[in-house]
Amino acid sequence: MATTQLARPARSTRSLYKHILRLPPSARVLAYSSVATTRNHDTTTFPPPWRPSHVLDEWVMRDARPISLRQLGFFGRTLTDERLISAANYVRLELPTRIAHRLRDFQTLPYSALTNEHIGYVYELYYSAFERVRKVPEIRDLESNERFCSVLDHILNEHLPVIPRLAMGVLEIKDVVGADECDRFMTMLLRSRISRRLIAQQHLALTERFNAPRQPTKASSSTTDDDYVGHILLKCNAKDIIERCAESSKQLVEKAYGPDVSIPKVVVQGHLDTTFPYILSHIEYIIGELLRNSIQAVVEQRGGPNPPPIEVLICEAAQHVIIRVSDQGGGVSQDILPYLWSFTKGPRRDRRLQNLGQVPKLAATMHELQMSPALSDQQQHHAEKHGSSLSSFVSRPPNLRLGMGLPMAKIYAEYWAGSLELHSLEGYGCDAFLQISRLGNKNEVLTTRASMDAI
Amino acid sequence: MISRGAGLRHHPLRALVTRPALRHVQTKAVTDGDIARFASQPLHPLTLADLCKHGRPPLSEESLLHSANFTLSILPSRLAHRIQSLRNLPYIVVANPNVNKIHGNYVHSLSTIMPYAEKRIETLEDEVKFTDAVAELVQTHSNTIAVLAKGFLEARKYISAKQVTDFLDEHLRARIGTRLIAEQHIALHVSSQPHKEANKNDSQYHAPDGSTYIGVVDTALKAASLIRTCENTVGEICELKYGVRPTVKIIGQPETTIAHVPMHIEYVLTELLKNSFRATIEAGMEREPVEVTIAPSASETQAAAALNTATESAKPGKVSKKLAAVSNRDQGFVDLSAGPNDTNSNIRPLAQSTPGVTIRIRDRGGGISPDVYDKLWNYGFTTFNEDEIQEKVSGGGQGVMALDVISGGAGGGSSLAGLGYGLPLGRAYAEYFGGGIAVQSLWGWGTDVYLSLRGVGKI
Repeated sequence: MATTQLARPARSTRSLYKHILRLPPSARVLAYSSVATTRNHDTTTFPPPWRPSHVLDEWVMRDARPISLRQLGFFGRTLTDERLISAANYVRLELPTRIAHRLRDFQTLPYSALTNEHIGYVYELYYSAFERVRKVPEIRDLESNERFCSVLDHILNEHLPVIPRLAMGVLEIKDVVGADECDRFMTMLLRSRISRRLIAQQHLALTERFNAPRQPTKASSSTTDDDYVGHILLKCNAKDIIERCAESSKQLVEKAYGPDVSIPKVVVQGHLDTTFPYILSHIEYIIGELLRNSIQAVVEQRGGPNPPPIEVLICEAAQHVIIRVSDQGGGVSQDILPYLWSFTKGPRRDRRLQNLGQVPKLAATMHELQMSPALSDQQQHHAEKHGSSLSSFVSRPPNLRLGMGLPMAKIYAEYWAGSLELHSLEGYGCDAFLQISRLGNKNEVLTTRASMDAI
Repeated sequence: MISRGAGLRHHPLRALVTRPALRHVQTKAVTDGDIARFASQPLHPLTLADLCKHGRPPLSEESLLHSANFTLSILPSRLAHRIQSLRNLPYIVVANPNVNKIHGNYVHSLSTIMPYAEKRIETLEDEVKFTDAVAELVQTHSNTIAVLAKGFLEARKYISAKQVTDFLDEHLRARIGTRLIAEQHIALHVSSQPHKEANKNDSQYHAPDGSTYIGVVDTALKAASLIRTCENTVGEICELKYGVRPTVKIIGQPETTIAHVPMHIEYVLTELLKNSFRATIEAGMEREPVEVTIAPSASETQAAAALNTATESAKPGKVSKKLAAVSNRDQGFVDLSAGPNDTNSNIRPLAQSTPGVTIRIRDRGGGISPDVYDKLWNYGFTTFNEDEIQEKVSGGGQGVMALDVISGGAGGGSSLAGLGYGLPLGRAYAEYFGGGIAVQSLWGWGTDVYLSLRGVGKI
């Protein structure tokens, strides 16, 4: 297997790279990013340092092993030493495999794309994570599992600003790479990111549960530890989630528009007892985005007292749950409609880019974030731990239009083989249809190099 | 297709059909060379503006001749393309008597138009004869869909469902355009002054009340009244068949009007309401009204006003030869085919933001099951089992009746279970001028159907 190496840059940068590569992985990213961002237009372009590619080649050749919600839940239900250790090893091998596929995606982008500071930053971040995890030896006892868990925890936190960075980078390179290609790239990356964070967070949650003694259940909380297997809530109550998301969206809008604004009511109809197993933060994000869009549209288009309510319908079938969100917010205007699901296209690109620049600050101050008071302590505990990157998005002020809510919600919806569609009645309102598989027996939707190269 | 819908009692075609002259239309033999020659001409992309650009009736002699020549310029190539498409089907399929009959009809129609082709119509007498030929064409092809459906059903062993779907998608869209231009010319002809005096027998034909019509286009078509009409029609069938009658509740902006072809929209709405009503009844939810929301696009009223001024000042000019060529498949999609128009015309091609109306039909009929959902847009081909097909193919009285129902459009026959052509055909009509149909099923609850329609472009 011939090793292909990226071209060697100029001498001065070479010594700089050597210095960077000598640093421990945790310091590498910061060093690279500080160099990359201080360059000015007179110096030559400064892509991430090259590394021999045979290591990555090995990992790219491996296939990712997708898993279903049901398998995840079942596996975590009864924990023993061996199970925990075997889970740790699954994660230990899956993570580098999945990152490797994405790193190769980065590497096959045009060279000039990698010189973009945001793309370069994320690439470096991923590469360092890859290096760290792949070097972890086989885990044989609980102690090594603990060490492994702290590595995971650190990486999860370090990677919090990835989404806004990626979004900015993709917006900046779309002329070089092409808008469609950028959309595809972004979708693949986000999907893979969800999968990696999921298995990492799940493992951390399981380890924690294994270690902690059983808490006596508080009388006031509606859900107990038993209802959760790691981050999977076995019985997400649709009505409950919708009402909670409505409440938090309402508060956010009130904060932005002032307490005098009349917020439309959210009315829930249909099969009100519906439950299904899902990752709570995922479903809250999707429904939160949809409700926030609807509420904002109604407030902005139909301002004034007695705004028409937003009707949410829960429809339960044997294999799916469909949630329909209908609003009378005036619909989506024709100039945006074709670009609704794109990360890069559309007439509002420049404003998006500007707004995205303000989001990394939010992600960094995640720990001081105000979570919705409607959540019980139990649920807050589960959501907050292990760096939930979604919460910074969920609680951003509504006037910070990122233009990403719908495409991201779609990726989350499709992650467990669900779907998200929108129909607009221009001049009247919108209907969003979210379909979720109810049995949890669908595998994750991943894109590996094998499936891509086969096309 | 002659629709027997309520709003069209005064269809101009009735007047012409009764004329004895119809039986003696002049023909000229069609050779393969002729077909090839006409088929090599590019297809003219049809827009609503094309239909209206000759002016409001009654037309002057000059405008009438202009309309005749425009129609003459596009009919032969359209017919030739259809003949070629049919000839591209497998031999054994075209050999089927029903399919063969349709093929023969097209060749015959081309033979009646050929005497006028590649020449200009300069006199009123020629125009009358030409219009007769066009009327005969419309008459001949009025039951094409039913006959083709039967033919394909009989030949189902020799052709795949996908081939049928692809062929029919193209063919039916082309048919819509051809009939439209033909019927439009006939309507303009009949309502124009020079002929009213010459034919005293035509007293049965009266122009529809109000001056909102330009031929078959109603520039102020009120969506809500059309919906009520269809509600009544379908409701009566339901009462006859099931004993109960669901109702329709209209919300949104019922006063909305749009410039469009009433015949088409009536067909689509009838099909959609048929589906909703039947599902509602079979789910036992007939007390729940079917909810219809009418949502106009913002600048809709502007467009109607623009259309009024445009047609008044339209001057007949040379028929533009600079026609953007369009493929068979795309001819039904106006965005793709909106090319440079006649420079004398004041109506510009449709822009992306052409205003129109979106109609959402929401029912509680239990939804569409996932396996049926995949076959929704097939031409009824694969949703039947062998027994049902045998029954239809053997042409038992009931079977043929059902077929006539589909081609007859709204108001015909008493059966609700047709051959499954309603949805795909409805979509063809909706898409023809840049609209569309989207179906969203909530299995276990109901169905939402979104019908979007575009009107004439604004100036």
